[in-house]
Amino acid sequence: MTVPLTAYLVVGALLFAIGLYTVVAQRSAVMILMGVEVLLNAIGLNVVAFWRFTAPGDYSAQILAILVVTVGAVEMAIGLALVLLLYRQRRTAEVDAYADLKR
Amino acid sequence: MTAAFELTAFATCAFVAVAGALGMTTTMSMFRSGIFLMASFIGVAGLFILLSADLIGLLQVMMYIGGFLVMILFMVLVMHDPGGAMMAGMDLAPLERWSSLGLVPRRPAEAGPDGHRQGEAGDRTAATGHGEGHSGTHPPRPGGEARGDHAEAHDGAAKAMPHEAQGGHGERAAHPHGQAAHGHDHAPGGGHGGMDMGGMDMSMVTPVRPVAAWLALGVGAVLVGMLVLRPAWPVMPDAVPDADSARRVGHLLMEKYMVAFEGAGFLILIGIFGALLLARPSTYPDDASRAAKVAVDAEPEPIRNDRLAPRATLNGVAEPAPDHGAHRRHGGHIG
Repeated sequence: MTVPLTAYLVVGALLFAIGLYTVVAQRSAVMILMGVEVLLNAIGLNVVAFWRFTAPGDYSAQILAILVVTVGAVEMAIGLALVLLLYRQRRTAEVDAYADLKR
Repeated sequence: MTAAFELTAFATCAFVAVAGALGMTTTMSMFRSGIFLMASFIGVAGLFILLSADLIGLLQVMMYIGGFLVMILFMVLVMHDPGGAMMAGMDLAPLERWSSLGLVPRRPAEAGPDGHRQGEAGDRTAATGHGEGHSGTHPPRPGGEARGDHAEAHDGAAKAMPHEAQGGHGERAAHPHGQAAHGHDHAPGGGHGGMDMGGMDMSMVTPVRPVAAWLALGVGAVLVGMLVLRPAWPVMPDAVPDADSARRVGHLLMEKYMVAFEGAGFLILIGIFGALLLARPSTYPDDASRAAKVAVDAEPEPIRNDRLAPRATLNGVAEPAPDHGAHRRHGGHIG
């Protein structure tokens, strides 16, 4: 393992920062969901990197990564269904137009 | 696996992952965002395989790219302006301009209070009936004649903008410049210099984009700084995971973590039901179904209790009666 653990973690941190920027700055709901996917990728990368470098004999970390992907899939399906429904009603996918859902 | 190969593979995969994510968030075209996101997923999958987590890497490729990305691209193609043609050519940060290379800007025929709607009617690429929907959400603001010359000057400025040497400006430095060029006050949506066509902010990002950029930069810097300054992790570099790791993970899933596995499966089932319930065609008449009903080639129903008839008598003095009678006769004919 010539590449140290810190290198993987730095990549994960960069992905996390980019995902955070996307979630905050983007206007379209689909783009926000893409940012959430990047955030989940960063988390999975961190988990797998820690597994490989600190406890390679215990495969529980991979179970956690699989469960993160699964929950991400459900979140994606529900989120896209919501966006599709709202887009059908309001003809826009920008989350600013959904502000009255807060009530 | 030699050291040089591992370093090269790591550098390639990390670059693809980070650059893909960066391109995803900076490009003006949503379709390109999806493709950049696929590059990012592939890079992270390569990192997983490099970390000898083969199963997770394959799962990443199959689920994220095969499942999520297809869903995302489907949604993007339904959306308004998936190619980003509306937003190409406005004042962009250098990174955004680079990742939006080759997008051909599309201008409405004339820039006026309703130039946007006419431009929309000209090309019905993405969403039919988008114009009225957007004019509902962004009502046209007063001061239309004052906005006319503004819009023309703005159009010229936007045309000149891609040729301007803006490389010296940073992402934040380009922001006040764009506002100064536009010069008229937007509603809350107008902070970042989007193409304000007909009182509508076409930008893809929210006005808090500089704040978000600083926030992301700060979080990234803090995280990377903490990681670099961290003295040592309790690593075990010599321990090599089992080459047959997929079998081990499968045994764990079926034995030790079976409840979590079943719970995740149940969650997926509920999620599928919920998504179908949400996205099924509505029973309430929306615009599309109403249009379909009108398009049926049949006799229209007779109008009972016609409120328009007295108003017609007020405007045109002569004979309201034959019109009314025609309706009666029509109705009788149908009945």
